[in-house]
Amino acid sequence: MTSNNLVYLIALPLFSSGFLMMLGRRADKWGHIFATLISASAFGIGAFEFLQMLARPSESRAVTQKLFSWISVGTFQVDASLLLDQLSISFVLLITGVGTLIHIYSIAYMSHDLDRRRFFAFLNFFIAAMLLLVLGDSYLNLYVGWEGVGLASYLLIGFWNQKPEYATAAKKAFIANRVGDVGLSLAIMIAFATFGTVSFAGVEEKVSGASTAALTGIGLMLLLAATGKSAQFPLQSWLGDAMAGPTPVSALIHAATMVTAGVYLITRSNFIFDNAPTAQLCVVIIGAITLMFGALIGTAKDDIKKALAASTMSQIGYMILATGLGPVGYAFAIMHLLTHGFFKAGMFLGAGSVMHGMDDEVNMRKYGGLGKLMPITAITFGLGYLAIIGVPPFAGFYSKDKIIETAFNSEGIKGLFIGGAALLGALVTAFYMTRVIILTFTGAKRWDEKAHPHESPFLMWGPMAILAIGSVASGFLLSSGNRFVSWLAPVVNSHEVEHAERFQPVVVTTMALVAVLIGVAIAIAKYRSDVPRVAPTNVNIFTKIARRDLLQDDFNEAVLMRPGQALTNFLVATDERAIDGAVRTVGAVVIGSSKGIRKTQNGFVRSYALLILFGAFALLATIWVVTL
Amino acid sequence: MSDTPVLQYSFLAPILIVLGGAVIGVLLEAFAAAKRRAVLQLTLTLGTLFIAFLSLLRIRNLTSAKAAMGSVMIDGPTILMQGTILLIAFFAVMIIGDVDNFTAQASAVPGSDEEKSALQAGRQQTEIFPLTLFAVAGMLLFPAANDLVTLFVALEVLSLPLYLMAGLSRHRRLFSQEAALKYFLLGAYASAFFLFGAAFLYGFSYSVTLSGIHAAVIGGTANNIFLLIGLTFISLGLLFKVGAVPFHAWTPDVYQGAPTPITGFMAAATKVAAFGAMLRIYYVTFAEANWNWRPILTVIAIATMLVGSIVAITQRDIKRMLAYSSIAHAGFLFTGVIALNKAGLAATLFYLLAYGFATIGAFGVITLVRDSSGEITDLNRWAGLGRRSPKIAALFSFFLFAFAGIPLTSGFIGKFAIFTAAYESGNIGVVVVGVLSSAIAAFFYIRVIVMMYFADDNGDSLTVVIPSPLTSIAIWVSGGVTLVLGVYPTPVLNAINTLATFIR
Amino acid sequence: MIRLSLEIGQTQKPEAILFYILAPLSVLAALGMLIVRKAVHSALLLAWVMITLAIFYIALDAAFLGIVQIVVYTGAVMMLFLFILMLVGVDAPDSLTENIKGHRATAIVAALGFGGLLISLIGRATLNHVSVGLAMANEPGNVQGLASLIFTQYVFPFEVISALLITAALGAMVLAHSQKSAGARLSQRALSSVRFRGDSLANAAGLPSSGVFARHNAVDVPALLPDGTPAKNSISGVLTARGDVQDSTQYALGSLPKVDDESGDK
Repeated sequence: MTSNNLVYLIALPLFSSGFLMMLGRRADKWGHIFATLISASAFGIGAFEFLQMLARPSESRAVTQKLFSWISVGTFQVDASLLLDQLSISFVLLITGVGTLIHIYSIAYMSHDLDRRRFFAFLNFFIAAMLLLVLGDSYLNLYVGWEGVGLASYLLIGFWNQKPEYATAAKKAFIANRVGDVGLSLAIMIAFATFGTVSFAGVEEKVSGASTAALTGIGLMLLLAATGKSAQFPLQSWLGDAMAGPTPVSALIHAATMVTAGVYLITRSNFIFDNAPTAQLCVVIIGAITLMFGALIGTAKDDIKKALAASTMSQIGYMILATGLGPVGYAFAIMHLLTHGFFKAGMFLGAGSVMHGMDDEVNMRKYGGLGKLMPITAITFGLGYLAIIGVPPFAGFYSKDKIIETAFNSEGIKGLFIGGAALLGALVTAFYMTRVIILTFTGAKRWDEKAHPHESPFLMWGPMAILAIGSVASGFLLSSGNRFVSWLAPVVNSHEVEHAERFQPVVVTTMALVAVLIGVAIAIAKYRSDVPRVAPTNVNIFTKIARRDLLQDDFNEAVLMRPGQALTNFLVATDERAIDGAVRTVGAVVIGSSKGIRKTQNGFVRSYALLILFGAFALLATIWVVTL
Repeated sequence: MSDTPVLQYSFLAPILIVLGGAVIGVLLEAFAAAKRRAVLQLTLTLGTLFIAFLSLLRIRNLTSAKAAMGSVMIDGPTILMQGTILLIAFFAVMIIGDVDNFTAQASAVPGSDEEKSALQAGRQQTEIFPLTLFAVAGMLLFPAANDLVTLFVALEVLSLPLYLMAGLSRHRRLFSQEAALKYFLLGAYASAFFLFGAAFLYGFSYSVTLSGIHAAVIGGTANNIFLLIGLTFISLGLLFKVGAVPFHAWTPDVYQGAPTPITGFMAAATKVAAFGAMLRIYYVTFAEANWNWRPILTVIAIATMLVGSIVAITQRDIKRMLAYSSIAHAGFLFTGVIALNKAGLAATLFYLLAYGFATIGAFGVITLVRDSSGEITDLNRWAGLGRRSPKIAALFSFFLFAFAGIPLTSGFIGKFAIFTAAYESGNIGVVVVGVLSSAIAAFFYIRVIVMMYFADDNGDSLTVVIPSPLTSIAIWVSGGVTLVLGVYPTPVLNAINTLATFIR
Repeated sequence: MIRLSLEIGQTQKPEAILFYILAPLSVLAALGMLIVRKAVHSALLLAWVMITLAIFYIALDAAFLGIVQIVVYTGAVMMLFLFILMLVGVDAPDSLTENIKGHRATAIVAALGFGGLLISLIGRATLNHVSVGLAMANEPGNVQGLASLIFTQYVFPFEVISALLITAALGAMVLAHSQKSAGARLSQRALSSVRFRGDSLANAAGLPSSGVFARHNAVDVPALLPDGTPAKNSISGVLTARGDVQDSTQYALGSLPKVDDESGDK
């Protein structure tokens, strides 16, 4: 099947972005409306394609569109082609749907910003790049989108680059992402060397003939790419700082869509991971570590956005964990991704709404009792909260519970460990999310006299309400009758395999609910009484470590930055010695001796001529020898 | 007596038009009023190049024609290379048109009162324009030359103006003059080798035409040692021009000392011409003797790539760094030459186009970064440039990305094509070294970007001057070409594939 | 070895004699050109090398080339060299100290190696090698043969060389020609009035010319005034500025010879 509409999905926002950038200030008055309409129309196209796809039988649902032949060098052919299948359409709807809501929200949220038009241009650019990422039919096309969203993320995190620390945060994100990108480009290179093609279909076709070593290599490199983009251990540290960007950006890019690109990448490459058990195991381990890691950081954060960011990290950990669990896991990972897209975006928008009412104050210790003043925000946030901690029948319950269950049921001792981790993660999640709720919406007011908390305008709470509905209903809608699993089955090649189930689903569900209850209870017990406005300093070592983001920056500094600096110092030292040395030794250097190339560059033309003579001499000598 | 020679002027038209424009330029120097000269010369030069390009388009389908009694071969590759040279020269002249980069009076002793008064009087050395045209004419002839005599004449015609222009910098004049003298002396030295080699090849084949030598090569009865010596020395002359190791020593000094627009022109256009000639010689004349030159050239390619990339790392001057980078790029281009297949030819031609435009753009940007005493080429002082003029810094980063071969730039496609061609020819070792040195090279390109964006602003007095309209057109067009060749290179690749067949 | 080489290329007897006399001299002169300290000696040795080459060309039946070699190189180019040397000062010796350690030794080794390899290779290639084609090339006559090649087959490169010449001329103009601003140059009349109506008439009769007559009359030797001191204004200011002025007292006569008899000057 082919379709001619796919290109418009990308072209519309891309055009709009360029258009708004080019018009400059002239478009200030209507640029935001224009961008929002464009985003909405992209959603319209997506919905149209979705309906058409529903009408087709499940094996012929994928459609493609060839745009042009991109690279044709010798035997290497890459077309710029788009592929819309069950997996991509899920993302397309999420990106354009949530994207449009966030566009609407931003109209109000950014209304005081002089550069609102530029912001919308960037947002549209992000939408275009993200759509290219999920619609590309080859790794190379995906890579273009991958770089594009990285750029958009960099631009938007640093949108308020007047503040140096924001600009620094943007750079941090940029660099962490580059590390991941190296992984992706290496994966593409290995894939090309192994299969001679980089299109998904082509690789899938030839994957059975490839060696496990090559597949493992590709898998690990893809995983590295995913850890960079999705803020997974050990490249997770940028996400917290990325909260420097405007809150709608945090909601769209750093909660709902871009950070989940890693999950998409692994799911899309299921044919590789399913044949590379080692890489798959690494995926599980990374996921498990990150979900604990994020959750623990979340417990200690007083900045509401950073607490949510830590939670995002942790939830994506769940998704990555699920993708590592083989064919059964992919559907649950994507399902959790979708529900998470709803409730986390909703909560971020809620956090933005709170900040909007509190003069951009982000410290939860200075909130308190906002529930009465901002009822709609409190309700929508609360629904998202119930979803994330996994209370039935809210969305997160369905998706997260399935992941925990699948984790427990994976083979061997591994299952117990990762299942345990997932369960413990659920407990901690319940704890820190409850803490957020208590600190923000309940209790006594702890804010300054200057602050005048008020409910946000309709343009802001409208999207929040819609997302809240999503966080309530999406889980049930997706999971009832195993609907989503069978929807995605053609893409991820899952077939019904009866596992030897270690635990009955009901047992797992009960355990999970108990864990949640414990978490909530601890939080209530701890934060019921008055909360000091300033974070107490006489806390135990674990809290201290958690406050320092589990030493992630210290880790980076010790493992990455220090050696990097040492290397730089070394290079600088070499540099100095070489340059100054050359100057000092001019006239004393022994030319022609093999003391290094650089020293032949002494600035004397006779030395250069001598070098040429030596070259000629060497060539002649070669001739002399070969003709002997 | 012999018959009257038939030159076939339509085939020679691009070359003749450029030469004619140059001569008119010289006359303008003599007769036009001094204050109007710059504008007149610039118009004349751009017009000449434009008309030459048009006349080249007219003959693009008349492939495989010998012109000028067989001295000049107009085949597909010639058309492509002449087109590339004309395009590059056109945009390079736009940057050269900003005469602020050139000395007010070359004959004045640097630092003398005479120089000061010449500067105050606003005098300009507008001879640069006819000199550029002469150089372009030589470059057009170089890859088209079909016998060693023409080849040598073309080599000299293209070199001599470059020697001169290298010495005409406005700032740091002694440095510039030193560079010019070095370039001249070493160039003459290399030319002597070339000529020596041509004599041996005549001794080998009793002919100086490429087809005659080719006949002797496939004949196989002639004296092999003469072939080898001749081939070696001729190669030496060409290797010198492209700055291959170990004949590269002039490159950093000259690139650094020459006025920046000239450096850009030199780096981009000379490479096209010299590689064009090299491709013709190796693919047409000596293809059957490849067991003689391929191993040697492979070693040289590897050495060139490695030396260029490794030494560039420790450079602190942006022009010097780009000079070493151009050495490394010469190495990458060699991998295409030694592939000795059609893919290699097409890839090399594409790479030359891609590299040429990125080079013009990059050096164009360098001309803009100045303080009161002229251009700033010290890398440390570029720190924080990204904050002061984000557009220019972004554009420069883009060119560096292209040099590094990052996807979505022309450099990526070029490197990819060239390494693929080398891979297909079975020369895996070269490909491995090529990829390795690309990685090394990426380091110092990225370092500049990091400097511009992430290093602290050191409160330097440097400014990015507002470019003249022509300069900004040239820079932005170069950026555009670099982008388009990276995103959608297929039409260009197809055109090159169609045309890239040498005729003997 | 010599006998062997004599057979190479079927050198005819008189030509061989000519070669074996001139070739070593030519090589010696070329080496001497590098070694001698004074530029003018070097130039003269170069002239010698060129003339020898011209003789070789003629002996090899390339009459035109030989004549051109003499006319152009020895006649024109060398004369220009010498003019310039005269202008700059004949006696200015170049510094021949090599300040890069080991450079000279390395260069000599490389040059010897290069030359050795080349000789060895050519020797290997030309042994028992029959040279042909000279008679054919010179069949219409040496000049005519060359002319028909230059003006038919190679007419295009020949014409393109004109671009080279224009470039060279243009380059010389760019590098050497000073555009003096119009007001800076004094007219003959103004110069004359400065000379005769100026503050003093000391220089009205012209500046003294340089040199100590009969001992040393180069431009860099100041004239001696009657009191035995050098006249500073007898030499060009450029030389003074460069420090290329010789001490003329060394050429002064230590004591006047006894000339009492003839002059009767007592």
